[in-house]
Amino acid sequence: METADLSHHISRRFNEDLERVRSKVLGMGGFVEQQLHKAVTALVEGDSTLGESVAMDDYQVNNMEVSIDEECSRILATRSPAAGDLRVIVAIIKTITDLERIGDEGEKIGYIASRLATMERPADKYREIKHLGRVVSEMVHDALDAFARMDVESALRVARQDRLVDEEYESIQRQAITFMMEDPRTIRRALDVMWVVRALERIGDHAKNISEYVIYMVHGKDIRHTSLDDVERELREQRPATTVGGGVKPASS
Amino acid sequence: MQPATQAWWFAAGRMLATVMSGLLVGWLFGNVWVGLGVALALHLGWQLSNLFRLEWWLRHRSFADPPDVGGVFGEIIAQIVRLHRRKRFHKQRFVQLMRQLQRSTAALPNGVVILNAQREIMWFNRMAARLLDLRRTADLGLRIENLLRSPQFARYLEIGNFASPIVIRTTMGEDCYLSLQMVPYGEGQQLLLVSDVSRQMRLEAMRKDFVANASHELRSPLTVISGYLETLSQDPALDRDLQGPVTEMRRQAERMTTIIRDLLELSRLEETDEMLGGEPIDIPALLSMLRKDVVARPVHPRDIRIRIDSDAQLLGDEPEIHSAFSNLVDNAAKYTPAEGSIEMRWWVDDEGGHFSVTDTGMGVPPEHIPRLTERFYRVDAGRSRSTGGSGLGLAIVKHVLQRHGAELEIQSTLGSGSEFICHFPLSRVQLARVPQAAEV
Repeated sequence: METADLSHHISRRFNEDLERVRSKVLGMGGFVEQQLHKAVTALVEGDSTLGESVAMDDYQVNNMEVSIDEECSRILATRSPAAGDLRVIVAIIKTITDLERIGDEGEKIGYIASRLATMERPADKYREIKHLGRVVSEMVHDALDAFARMDVESALRVARQDRLVDEEYESIQRQAITFMMEDPRTIRRALDVMWVVRALERIGDHAKNISEYVIYMVHGKDIRHTSLDDVERELREQRPATTVGGGVKPASS
Repeated sequence: MQPATQAWWFAAGRMLATVMSGLLVGWLFGNVWVGLGVALALHLGWQLSNLFRLEWWLRHRSFADPPDVGGVFGEIIAQIVRLHRRKRFHKQRFVQLMRQLQRSTAALPNGVVILNAQREIMWFNRMAARLLDLRRTADLGLRIENLLRSPQFARYLEIGNFASPIVIRTTMGEDCYLSLQMVPYGEGQQLLLVSDVSRQMRLEAMRKDFVANASHELRSPLTVISGYLETLSQDPALDRDLQGPVTEMRRQAERMTTIIRDLLELSRLEETDEMLGGEPIDIPALLSMLRKDVVARPVHPRDIRIRIDSDAQLLGDEPEIHSAFSNLVDNAAKYTPAEGSIEMRWWVDDEGGHFSVTDTGMGVPPEHIPRLTERFYRVDAGRSRSTGGSGLGLAIVKHVLQRHGAELEIQSTLGSGSEFICHFPLSRVQLARVPQAAEV
């Protein structure tokens, strides 16, 4: 394995560069995960300071995105990678965009949480949001794990889970409409809650995107806008694509 | 005689016999040189065949028996067999030891991950797999920070001070806390120790909640008591015999209020252990304010000096820094007699910013110094009661400094005074806008 990696890249520095960027992306992912967790906790526990701190810290996510983006451009310009390495870079550039969006949605949730904390809390104590928040956090976590491990199986699982989030979104929406019809005084709060649920649903979509980039990175196959069953059948037939770069092992090894 | 030496003599003898017999046969047939040549060729052929058998056996050692040759070759084969046997014995013992070691680490109740210099996972035990959600074989060779993505852990790795473990909250699951510690060993290799501390953290949280709630509950009744005592002590109609006790009661009530205030402040400080961001603090203004506070005391040391050796500002939370510094200055004022002196000093060097309070008070015996920052720790029981302290001042100082990444150093000589120094890291110091060179 070692010799294969060394001969693969004439320059070992290149390998290190790629690995470092990948680690930075995952570090950014870790921060975004924490932001999301904090934002949902702030909402569920009615902690306005925590919500504000999430909104305040979003600039760090943006900084990380800019710095990783710059590094990717530098690698593209100086090393002109090909095949698997190029796919890794392209996937990273796309992944950080989605991570940054997740950060923005987290910021939104944090902001709304700090506002909702001053209002009367509903009887169910935002149980649905807590549940949805956990599902979505897990999706982001698993998508990043799949990214770290180059694990197509888990990536596909994350992509499948998005459907569950969509269903949950529908059901919370119906519930909110019922509340609003029953008691118009709750409309303001219910609208805020809908914003949060909408943000969580979007985060689920971004997690799905990230897992799609993982599949693209490993198999060199763009699976956006195709049905997951087709993708899975096709992937089972073929083995992991030609060369996967950057000293990265496909999960099947 | 050793068998090997014997074999050599034998070989030499055989060589000699060959040469002699060759010469003899050659002489009989009239050509000595041809006889010698034939004899040597035969000898060489025999040696070659021995060499061939030896080499063949070495190549197929795993299944072939050693060839049955005598003489020096036999000795060589015997030596090889012996070496081989010894090696196999050691290898077996080594493998056994390794297996035992692995089995025992695998059974450890704590998670263990072995990392190489690039922090790539080399090996981990079952508990680590469970706690960190690692996968057997698939995760070997991956960098640990790619899978363990907590920002606190990233900062821990970046800072590189592995003297103490960090506690992170996992994003998965409710209230699950892990304690992580890196242990460097060997050539750049590192060990990551993981343990589940959720239970301890929950207990700790319960304890903190209890202290905070209890102090809060005690405060309101105490306010009522102090209020009445105050009016009572100022009442001219108060019986003269009762005046002494009422004043004492009032003083003790005040002391209890201080203790409760400090307890509440401590529990507030404990609530978040994260480092604070910072606003620049105007040190000279702060120190002159502290000086005024000391002068306002009924009994205070006559000589209170302020020395500012740097116009750099400290980055921190002003109310907290004020509370920490004033606790230090208060202590100095309390334990220094009126004819003594106190010096407050602020200076900056390559290591960071430093604030010190030096007094010429009674000092602290050295054996007590390490425990001074514990809550309610008393050097001697009578001391703080007579001075009206809460016993929490230095604990508050320690917590505030911790939150600012700073350290407290205490130096003291019994009878001649003490020095309390706060060492702030460079990241907490904002150098003045006017460059130093302009002043020269």
